[in-house]
Amino acid sequence: MRTSPPAANPHSRLRPNRYWIAIGVAALVVIALGASSVLNYVYLDTIPGRASLYGLLAVALITMGTYILVRAFDRDPQARRKRLIRAGVLIGLGVLLWLLVIDVFVYTQSAGPSVALICTAACLPTTAIGLYVVRRMDRNEKEPWRLVLVAAAWGAIVATSLVIWGETIWEVSAERSLVPGPGLDASLAFMAGVLEELAKGAAVVLLFLVMRDDFDDVVDGIVYGAAVGMGFNFMESISYMTNFYSIFSPEGFGIYAAGFQWYARQGLGLFFGHATYTAFIGAGIGIARQLPSVKQKAFAIVSGFLIAIAAHFSWDAWTAFFPIQNSLFGLVEIHLRTLIMTGPFTAALIALLIFGIRYEGQALREQFRKEAESGQGAILPEEVAILASPWRRLRQRVRGFEHSGPRAYFQIARLQSAQLDLAMERWHRERREIETPLEAEDTLRQRVIALRHWVAS
Amino acid sequence: MRAAPYDHTQTLYRTLLVFATVAVLVLVIGLIEFVYFEPPGKVSGAKATIVGVYNYDPNTAVTSGSDQSEFPRTQQFAAVVDWSSVPPGLKVDARWYDAFGDVVGRVGPTTADQLVGHTIVPIVVPPGFHHSLPGQYLFVVERFEGSVPVEVLARRIVRVERT
Repeated sequence: MRTSPPAANPHSRLRPNRYWIAIGVAALVVIALGASSVLNYVYLDTIPGRASLYGLLAVALITMGTYILVRAFDRDPQARRKRLIRAGVLIGLGVLLWLLVIDVFVYTQSAGPSVALICTAACLPTTAIGLYVVRRMDRNEKEPWRLVLVAAAWGAIVATSLVIWGETIWEVSAERSLVPGPGLDASLAFMAGVLEELAKGAAVVLLFLVMRDDFDDVVDGIVYGAAVGMGFNFMESISYMTNFYSIFSPEGFGIYAAGFQWYARQGLGLFFGHATYTAFIGAGIGIARQLPSVKQKAFAIVSGFLIAIAAHFSWDAWTAFFPIQNSLFGLVEIHLRTLIMTGPFTAALIALLIFGIRYEGQALREQFRKEAESGQGAILPEEVAILASPWRRLRQRVRGFEHSGPRAYFQIARLQSAQLDLAMERWHRERREIETPLEAEDTLRQRVIALRHWVAS
Repeated sequence: MRAAPYDHTQTLYRTLLVFATVAVLVLVIGLIEFVYFEPPGKVSGAKATIVGVYNYDPNTAVTSGSDQSEFPRTQQFAAVVDWSSVPPGLKVDARWYDAFGDVVGRVGPTTADQLVGHTIVPIVVPPGFHHSLPGQYLFVVERFEGSVPVEVLARRIVRVERT
């Protein structure tokens, strides 16, 4: 006897393996981190080498905290508060330990803790603005902050740790065997492209495997990928700023050198660099999410990685062909170089994003219409046009604000968000891309109806 | 009969495949570039001897002290090359690279026999700076084919301390 309605796609061949794949990827990451840190400890008899091993504890704490945080939202709501506190404590400890290890032990050697702190403080607001903008790009159904921040934290902490040892081995062996010049530059660019994009891409793959309910399509993939890239860019910016400060400060140019790095990486390169590269990985995974055949899914994911690696490679390998003059025109050249070299990749990504938002909007409009026609009361016929347009949704919220104040604004926002969730669920069910049973859709519908009564009252 | 609705995901998929094709082209160009500057099978078998890296006085153009691998930032230094260890007709140069990959001192390129009088290859402090920038410095003796360096005959890495 069947006790619950069947899943939308009961014959999914990928489902039973999904969590095993996730566990496998996570295990590989942990093994790579462990091996990297132990090798650093054994072979690099330096403070950064030892710091890498101590940093493992921070990585473990953040991993555990992230797991509990995700469970807090996915499982029993009654246990949510307890799990949130546990996750907060673990992540807080991990972040503190990591900052202690990286900023104090590593950067103290070159620039000192106060410089590291100032550099971190300078990069925080720009990265936060970047993440805000990236999240806002999803006009229809914004990703939860917790997942966007988890993605950024992975980019900043886990991905940077993953590449240390691989890049050290590659760099040292290339410098000792290749002819300095374009050949060596190309080799190091392949190194950065392949290793860094694989390390960052692992985060997007894991999010896709574990949190598929919050990973709807190409738009979500771009958002998560860009968030991972921004996290990586955050840590890399701090590293370059402190390093350049320590190199140039004896000559009196330390602040200018660090400031230039800040502008190049946190201003000019905030959206053009790592965010663009890793967003392509997310786009590939997001498109794969909605493709019917395993072969097409594999091609889409591999394509995303290839584009990310090529974009990263081209910047690292060919910047030397665009030398910057030591004059005022050099300031213009810096911007032109970024525009010419990374601009086409960013433009291609924006094209995917715009098409993705448009198709998502069309699909949601269709689902609003079907839900309204069903007469179940979650979406009314007159609401279809409003819900289908981000601007009209905003106007409805603003009208609520003008009429009844900020509380009404947020109540309407919650109602609209629940209606969008329902339409998204319907869309995935129609496309047989969802595993949750039909009663999950009914629960969403009841939630919308309850919120509607609440707003009306 | 009503046609099945068109799935826009296929458009996105095909667009992604087009971008991936361009990406493969970029990576292939990178590989060609690498092979051009690192041609396989172009090893001559020749070796150069770097006698050592020593303190250097730019006023007298003379080296002093013992062979070192670390220097303070305020100390200028130079590599000493034994050009007689290189086959005379071979087109070579010797150059210093700083931590940013910029050339900060060189002799050549020309044939090895013409460099016999240039055994000392000092680093040059960049214009506008008082001393060398800290970091890792790479010294190489390279063999040329045409105008392209194709083989490193000897290399030496030294570190300039921040203090």
